Amino acid sequence: MRTSTLLARNLTWYWRTNLAVLLGVSTAVGVLGGALLVGDSVRSSLRDLVLGRLGNTDFVISRNGFFREELASVFGSACPMIAIDGVVAHEPSGRRALGIQVYGVDERFWKFQAEPGEPPRNQQTLLSAALERELGVKAGDAILIRVQKPSAIPLESLHGRKEDVGKTIRLTVTEAAFREFSLRPQQGDVRAVLVPLARLQKHLDQRGKVNTILLADGRASSGAIERTLKDRYTLEDLGLRLRTLEKQRCLSLETDSTLISDDLAGTAAATAKSLGLGTEPVLTYLANSIRVGGREIPYSVVTALGSPPAPAEAGGITLNQWAAQELRAKPGDAVSLDYYVWKSDGRLHTDSAQFRLAEVVPLKGAATDREFAPKYPGITESENLHDWDPPFPLDLSRVRPIDEQYWKQYRTTPKAFVPLARGQQLWGTRFGRLTSIRIFPPSEAYGNALRAALDPAKMGLTVFAVKARGLEAARGATDFGEYFIYFSFFLMVSALLLTGLFFKLGVEQRMREIGVLRALGFSIPQLRAIFLLEGAALAAPGAVVGMGAALAYGGFIMLGLRTWWIDAVGTRLLSLHASIASLAMGAAAGMVTGLGSIAWTLRGLQPVTPRGLLAGVERRKSERRPLLIGMIAAVMAVALLAAALARKLDQTAGFFGAGTLLLIAALCFESTWLNSRSLAPVGGQITLGLRSATYRPGRSILCIALIASATFLIVSLDAFRREGASTGTGGFPLMAESVLPLIHDPNTAIGRDALNIPPLEGVKFVPFRLRPGDDASCLNLYQPRNPRILAPPAAFLRSAQFQFQDSVARTANPWLLLESEPADPVIPAIADANSMTYALHLKLGEELVLDQTRFRIVAALQDSLFQGELLISEKNFLRLFPDVEGYRFFLLNVPPARAYELTGVLEAALADYGFQIQPTEARLAGFHKVENTYLSTFRSLGALGLVLGTVGLGAILLRNVLERRRELALLRAVGYLPQHLAAMVLAENVLLLLLGLTTGTVCALLAIAPAVSLRGGHLPVVSLSLLLVAVLVAGIAASLAATAAALRSPLLKALRAE
Amino acid sequence: MLEVFNLAKEYPTPRGPLTVLSGICLSLKRGDAVVIMGPSGAGKSTLLYILGALEQPTAGTVALDGQNPFQLAEKELAAFRNQLIGFIFQDHCLLPQCSVLENVLIPTLVANDHAGYPVRARELLQQVGLTDRLDHRPAELSGGEKQRVALARALIRKPLLLLCDEPTGNLDQASADVVASLLLELHQRQETILVVVTHNAELASRFPVRYELSHANLHLAGA
Repeated sequence: MRTSTLLARNLTWYWRTNLAVLLGVSTAVGVLGGALLVGDSVRSSLRDLVLGRLGNTDFVISRNGFFREELASVFGSACPMIAIDGVVAHEPSGRRALGIQVYGVDERFWKFQAEPGEPPRNQQTLLSAALERELGVKAGDAILIRVQKPSAIPLESLHGRKEDVGKTIRLTVTEAAFREFSLRPQQGDVRAVLVPLARLQKHLDQRGKVNTILLADGRASSGAIERTLKDRYTLEDLGLRLRTLEKQRCLSLETDSTLISDDLAGTAAATAKSLGLGTEPVLTYLANSIRVGGREIPYSVVTALGSPPAPAEAGGITLNQWAAQELRAKPGDAVSLDYYVWKSDGRLHTDSAQFRLAEVVPLKGAATDREFAPKYPGITESENLHDWDPPFPLDLSRVRPIDEQYWKQYRTTPKAFVPLARGQQLWGTRFGRLTSIRIFPPSEAYGNALRAALDPAKMGLTVFAVKARGLEAARGATDFGEYFIYFSFFLMVSALLLTGLFFKLGVEQRMREIGVLRALGFSIPQLRAIFLLEGAALAAPGAVVGMGAALAYGGFIMLGLRTWWIDAVGTRLLSLHASIASLAMGAAAGMVTGLGSIAWTLRGLQPVTPRGLLAGVERRKSERRPLLIGMIAAVMAVALLAAALARKLDQTAGFFGAGTLLLIAALCFESTWLNSRSLAPVGGQITLGLRSATYRPGRSILCIALIASATFLIVSLDAFRREGASTGTGGFPLMAESVLPLIHDPNTAIGRDALNIPPLEGVKFVPFRLRPGDDASCLNLYQPRNPRILAPPAAFLRSAQFQFQDSVARTANPWLLLESEPADPVIPAIADANSMTYALHLKLGEELVLDQTRFRIVAALQDSLFQGELLISEKNFLRLFPDVEGYRFFLLNVPPARAYELTGVLEAALADYGFQIQPTEARLAGFHKVENTYLSTFRSLGALGLVLGTVGLGAILLRNVLERRRELALLRAVGYLPQHLAAMVLAENVLLLLLGLTTGTVCALLAIAPAVSLRGGHLPVVSLSLLLVAVLVAGIAASLAATAAALRSPLLKALRAE
Repeated sequence: MLEVFNLAKEYPTPRGPLTVLSGICLSLKRGDAVVIMGPSGAGKSTLLYILGALEQPTAGTVALDGQNPFQLAEKELAAFRNQLIGFIFQDHCLLPQCSVLENVLIPTLVANDHAGYPVRARELLQQVGLTDRLDHRPAELSGGEKQRVALARALIRKPLLLLCDEPTGNLDQASADVVASLLLELHQRQETILVVVTHNAELASRFPVRYELSHANLHLAGA
């Protein structure tokens, strides 16, 4: 005989109890391991999506503008392509799809991705399967693809073509499938269209140019690719031009955009200086009129220079001889210039500047230099003034024959010169304050030196480790493993409580045996060791079985995420990925917690004397300790309530904490009451039954605790469901987003006219600038590395709309914090509280670094429609992202009754811009759906825990009844009928159930009071009542089953055994 | 030697302490055998459990082989019981999951020495006439046989003190006679101090020294 033999005997002899313990451990391991597997599976599925959709792409080189497709040839395995966003319309049905990824590809893409079949050619196009389904397209159908027409000249500058922002291409759908391709990590369907590269280049007027290069080189680093790029790019790839002006004996640095940014100007000047060359910055602008007295000249080129022929004095102006003659001006005369300025409010303004004529210069030398003016499409190439086609209003009736003659003879030769500083003050924009830089004398070395000095990344030609970033993002905004551990927490606790309970029942069943062993010299530690070994021997196979259960549970949750809970993830592309590590971790944690629960059970062995054990006596717990704990918990609950009511702490947190403490207090008081056996005197079967609840007070309180906790959980969860009206819309009934930016202000008659919007009464647009990026809302499973950024106009900030959850400074209008100027170079930003916490994983006041710019969250919006983005001031937006033009996000204030009608009108009018309107309530409902789905998941798994709790209740009832068989037999012997006994058992169990349900419900109602009041006092009374009634019915059924089982056993035999 | 001096035991009740034992003195040496009789509730079993160090006295001392078990720590007390005391209960208290031989060997699982116990267990079972039942489970034995297994289990560690609580209480006369004979025979052979608590006059009559416990006091029967 060895201890192991005794162990083996115990395990097999008490196999029923042991099996229950084993199953309890299995359940705990299954739930824990399954939850971890869910986390792994979501991550792995997202990772698979990234890898599958990127194909062989490891890196991407891209630019906001276009560059030579030959650049791809300097890299090993590379594929040049065009990647832009667009709107796709199905011509036969008129159905439209917005926000489509449009890829211009050719056979190089097919080869690069090792795609079978042929790329689209000529008029052909290929649609992704999801887009085909969405539009109902079939092979041979015509589709219209509308994309933004690239414009090197900034749209928000005077010469930008604001009404001609898009280009429509008509193509025919061909019947061929292609593997999904996407450069963006996204869990949803890929909505993409493939277009022949050459055709797209032709339509966009970008022959031989692309905006993207895909690179396949898994072993290369971003740094290595950046070095190759820096070695091999040309100035043309950055939209720069270096012309030699023979006559002027200089080089002229110009850009496709016609404007030179301050950074570029600095580098160009520094490079020249390093080579011992001189520079002459030039800014040329178009004046609508040059006036002296009552005479004027229309449409004249004016150049600002830092040297002659421009005057030295700030208020001076130089006219050429022709202009001075036409104006009959002489030095000292007042000269005024009228000119157009496109301002950031989306309007064209005519401003005027006053000068004093400093000098009149003859038309020779520098004064006849027509190269001061950049190439303005629609102007510089025109043969005469009447052929001008500028993107701003032109009154050709003002053009006189003499003006035409000047144009014919001198073209863009400036008629006036002003000091550079004054010109920059008048005509400088965020895009630049120069139109060219001249370098003297012309040097062949300058081009290479400038190329070496420029950083392509700073000039917008960037390298992205797209695969590495995608895989990083695939770690997810949300750790589903962690979430499902929380969601399954009650289920797990139930399983562990049941494990402990079954083990306890087994131990209690063997109290006499324990007494004998103690009488025979077994010490308490030795007995504990034997029972713990027994527990371990059960936990080990339990863990093995549990791993199978984990796979099943994980599979079940993944199935749920693909079906019932799809609103939480928005994709059906998630599948179970079994990870040995998670299974092992779940098994280890389940075993440890299972053993912990068993060890906790064994604590109770100590204080009972061996004689007591032999006599089957259970130690009665002290009534004082739970009473003391209960009183402390109650006092703390009252203190929390008071603090919450006095708004000393967050009301929701305060009330929830108070409710939880109250639950603990109530359970402690109930424990004291049951232990004191102070129930009503026995006066009948029912009171006799009620008295039985004190037979094993520990078991009774465990039942009450299980049911109360589950009820608390379920009732409190329901209060957090978000339904109905919300303040998160800011009072705006509609919101909109466009694929192409709107440059004009739709609130003005001129803007509406330019945008082709009919006059609409009562419609007010609030346009936001938008920098595209990752969706930071709960709708995106990927971790947002580079969130979308919105910039509301300054007037909106002052209107103080939307509610805030918190802000870093006590202020009536936290929006104004966006305009604060912090001492350190950090951009103040506002985020939705949910996105801040769960997607960005930030707290108020914390910082986020995007492309080396630091953003600090200064305020958090409460449940708003801005869950997908960060908000910053327009001023900071324009400074940080000068290249991002126009407005693509809008809040619309419309009469609610006309919202539907106006949606149709506006979407039709702005169809070319891919303008899509959505009711703000629908947007919020989309977010709430995710939250509610999480709550449903939590509730469903909580309900499963409640089922386990009910199983535990049934087990306890059965055990109680079986232990009292002799008592029941005696009652039968003295004349009780089976139904009397059933009534007694039922009374006891209804008491426990009602205590559990009432305790849980009352405490939960207190906990959720502020949350319910914040959400408009809505509580789902019907569904809650149904659930609680179901628990009551299940509990009663369990007690009836237990009674029936006890009554089926031969009671009188039990009596004779006495 | 078993030395009991001025032993008292009280139980607290809502109506004040209930005295079960008072001023009990007893001195027994190796080879002595005594029986304690008395009405139900007189405190016989309480005295027996105190002697077996299963229950603390309210006052007085107990010394076995010169050691007061109640001064020992829990671990030492368990070892003390395992080494020096054997118990036989009215309800045999055999482990249903273990065989006869295994039940006898149960105390040896926590013994400091492990030498020769299986052989001794077989010898004891032979002495109580159960050689052919070694692998049987308790459920397959009669009441007398179960009690004989309990006797063998009590003696496996060669205890100095053998305590029996109504050892024949659940047995028929014939079985009770057998068990009683074996008990006395093995006691004599092993020279234990034997203390038996019983109602059974027949069993009591077989003991040379008989005590009666009444009104919390212990008296020699017939004295």
